[in-house]
Amino acid sequence: MLRFRLLAGTLVLLLIAGSLHAAEVLRVTTLTRDGRVLVSFELAGAFNGEMRDTIRSGLQTTFSYDVRLRQEAAFWPDNTVASVTLEATVRYDNLTGQFKVARTLDGRVEETTILANESKVREMLTRFERVPLFSTAALKPNGAYHVHVDCDTRPRNAWFVWPWGGASASGAARFTFLP
Amino acid sequence: MGRGIRLGGGTLHVLAVSAHRSIITPPAAHSDGEARRPFRDNPQFIVVGILLFLLTLVGLLRVADRSTELAPDYLSEVVLYALSASCLTMLVVLAFVLARHIVKLWVERRHAVPFARFRAKLVAALLGMTLIPAVLVLIVGGELIRNSAERWFAAPVDDVLTSANAIAREYYRDREAVVTEYASRIAATLEDVDLSQTSVSAVRDMLAPEVTARRGGIVDVYRVVQPDAGSERIAVEPVVEIIASTAPQGHARAAAERLAEQIASGRGELLRVEPLEAGDQIVRAASVIRTGGGEIAGVVVASDPLTGVTALHARRIGGAYEAYRQLQVLRRPLAGVYLSFFLMITLMILVSATWLGVYVAKRITRPVQLLAAGAREIGAGHLDHRIQPETTDEFGSLVDAFNTMAGELSTSQHRLERSRRDLEHQNLEGDRRRRYIETILERIATGVVSIDAGGRVSTVNSAASRLLGLDRAALGQPAAMVFDREDLQPLAPVLLNARNAVGERAAQEVALARDGREIHLAVAATALPGDVGALDGTVMVVDDVTPLIRAERVSTWRDVARRLAHEIKNPLTPIQLCAERMQRHFRDAPPKARDLVDECTATIVGEVEALKELVDEFSQFARLPSPRTVPSDLNALLGETLALYDGLFRDVTFEHQFATLPTLHLDPEQVRRVVVNLVNNAADALDTAARAAINGFRGVITVATVHDAAEGVVRFLVADNGPGISPADREKLFMPYFSTKRRGSGLGLAIVRRIVIEHGGCIEVTDNTPAGTRVIVELPCHS
Repeated sequence: MLRFRLLAGTLVLLLIAGSLHAAEVLRVTTLTRDGRVLVSFELAGAFNGEMRDTIRSGLQTTFSYDVRLRQEAAFWPDNTVASVTLEATVRYDNLTGQFKVARTLDGRVEETTILANESKVREMLTRFERVPLFSTAALKPNGAYHVHVDCDTRPRNAWFVWPWGGASASGAARFTFLP
Repeated sequence: MGRGIRLGGGTLHVLAVSAHRSIITPPAAHSDGEARRPFRDNPQFIVVGILLFLLTLVGLLRVADRSTELAPDYLSEVVLYALSASCLTMLVVLAFVLARHIVKLWVERRHAVPFARFRAKLVAALLGMTLIPAVLVLIVGGELIRNSAERWFAAPVDDVLTSANAIAREYYRDREAVVTEYASRIAATLEDVDLSQTSVSAVRDMLAPEVTARRGGIVDVYRVVQPDAGSERIAVEPVVEIIASTAPQGHARAAAERLAEQIASGRGELLRVEPLEAGDQIVRAASVIRTGGGEIAGVVVASDPLTGVTALHARRIGGAYEAYRQLQVLRRPLAGVYLSFFLMITLMILVSATWLGVYVAKRITRPVQLLAAGAREIGAGHLDHRIQPETTDEFGSLVDAFNTMAGELSTSQHRLERSRRDLEHQNLEGDRRRRYIETILERIATGVVSIDAGGRVSTVNSAASRLLGLDRAALGQPAAMVFDREDLQPLAPVLLNARNAVGERAAQEVALARDGREIHLAVAATALPGDVGALDGTVMVVDDVTPLIRAERVSTWRDVARRLAHEIKNPLTPIQLCAERMQRHFRDAPPKARDLVDECTATIVGEVEALKELVDEFSQFARLPSPRTVPSDLNALLGETLALYDGLFRDVTFEHQFATLPTLHLDPEQVRRVVVNLVNNAADALDTAARAAINGFRGVITVATVHDAAEGVVRFLVADNGPGISPADREKLFMPYFSTKRRGSGLGLAIVRRIVIEHGGCIEVTDNTPAGTRVIVELPCHS
């Protein structure tokens, strides 16, 4: 019994340490309008000094967001209704001081712009406002859903890459679909 | 058919290759009959594995060698990812190999598989020999890489590159400022021009001198097109483009128009640098043309190519700076790549060492295990087992020697088996002959007693037991003690004579008293000489010659009776005639003389008649005919005979106890005579007893029959409760002319005995219980 308690305590401490280590927070909100599910999310804490150094080194830096619309199910894994991948890529030119930012949706370029203002760049990389990602046609009235967003950044900056590593930040928002 | 032998390296299969021969082979013997070597013993697979190992090493070295040429992000993303996955795979493989080996070791130790501990030690030694240096190299190498990575970004290099990049950046800013100012000046020049009304040539004429004076510049003027109702997008359309003659080729007009459109819409930056085809760049600056009312009427995009040595150096400086910064940013993943190289090679060495340890251990212990298993099979008696040699080295020679030894053992065993079968056959034959002889000894009427070299009785057959009164207890007893018994003492001299004259036969006829009777035995003893002349034992043969002697006596008496009858009967008639003649002659004599003569002649005639009867009995005894047997019912015959005595004797009671009998082949007349004789004797005995008794004596004559199916005989007995017969007289009862009666001829029982013997039976006189005599007649039945 004592051994079990020690093991459980160690596990809880590890989880707390892991949550504290994850300084990046992904806030997600949803809105249904005009037959579309509009998803807004913002990644906070990701644009730190290390990330800034990475971008300003001229490396092409990508913020990849895996957005999944899921229907909640009791006593069973949630059913994924639809999913998209949003990517925001930035490349900094040290000679001109300009950021070339591009946003893609499932690999399709949606927007490309050149910016000199870093705060705008950060906003383009980490903030998405009311992006119409999913159609409500497949949703059931009064059904409980949630939008789950996993964020990952490249290039990784670690000694070792865990091949089956998870996202660096995650967030979710629940909603009940009312047609 | 095959069976498996459990060994450390798996299961060795014993294949039956013939009816009696089997071969121990490695585990992977396939059903197609072609014994395929397992993976670890297949040289081709081993060579392929070593080649793959070497190729992997060469690939890793190539990648490490070209790592400086590869983009840092490629290294950190792709190479590090691949190396990490490979390292994890190698770790899993190593863990699997070690875990498998540990589990196998545990199982083998539990099953006491030979050489399990040795193989574990060998694997552990090889693993330890490689693990310690490999891990040390990994740790030291890792520290070196980490320290080197820190040293890559030392302060002097960083300062130089940062300063150089600042210069290059300043150069770009200057050019951007020039172009921006140029675009603004042109835009100010065109503020008073109505772009929608003014002709293109007029605008061109207005701007051409300045563009030409800039040498290499490009100016694009766009007019804002009012958007459609409901559209938020502001479009532009080109008005004029003025290109200097020295402007570079590959200029993309679309990029300028896109910039103008963004500026007109109020989005994006006013300045941008775009690449050209030849690796050069071009700086574009946009400026809005406003009307007097402040509305946007058009956009001027001024482009100035960044060519020349300065621009080239600036770009090189910028590229080097970015590469340096990227290396600095990705120093951890890059160090991780090199660490992963080390780790992967270390793991490959460890996996290889483990596998090599297991392989070497198996290569060493497998032949020994095969030999041990083969030895166990040989020990278990499977001499036809062979071990299939797997190698041609010393172990192969050892296996060959083992197989040769097994073959020789098998041959010897086959010879031994054949000899054993022959011996067994001889033993069986000997047993059969012994049983045959024992059966004969048990069945013959001749008694046989054998005495071993130690003087102990070793054999006594049934006839000897019966004749000499010996039981099974005599077996093993000293012969001197056995034959020291009072009634057997006459045999001792015979045995002594035989022992004294080895090889010669000592014979003698002796008479022994047995159950109150005297039996005559013809005894012959022979000493058996041994192999070296010593006495090997003595065999004594005993024949009962009593019946023969009796028969001789009877024959003699019959001859005497015949002569007596002949000699006596002839004068009797003249004597009788003379006596009758004298009686007639003195019929007229005086009474006194006549009475005397009558008395004398009557006596003479009477005695002559008695002599005639006696002679008749002699004649009958001498001329008794052979029985003429017919199927008869003995019980009925006895009943009819006994019926003659009904009421004849007042003080005698007759009792009948007849059992169910089979039909017998008898001469009814002769048997009736036997019964009458025996009953008469019993009645005479009872008459004597009655006279001797005071009063109240009641004689009983019992006549009974018994069927002994097992012996195949029928017995009938005549018993009385008279005074009985003394043992001394009992033997003489059947002798002719012996009688216990005052006027008996002594031929009755002799005739009875002869009749019984002529019928193949025998007769015996014993005491009756509680008193009297019992005569038992035994007749054969052939039902």
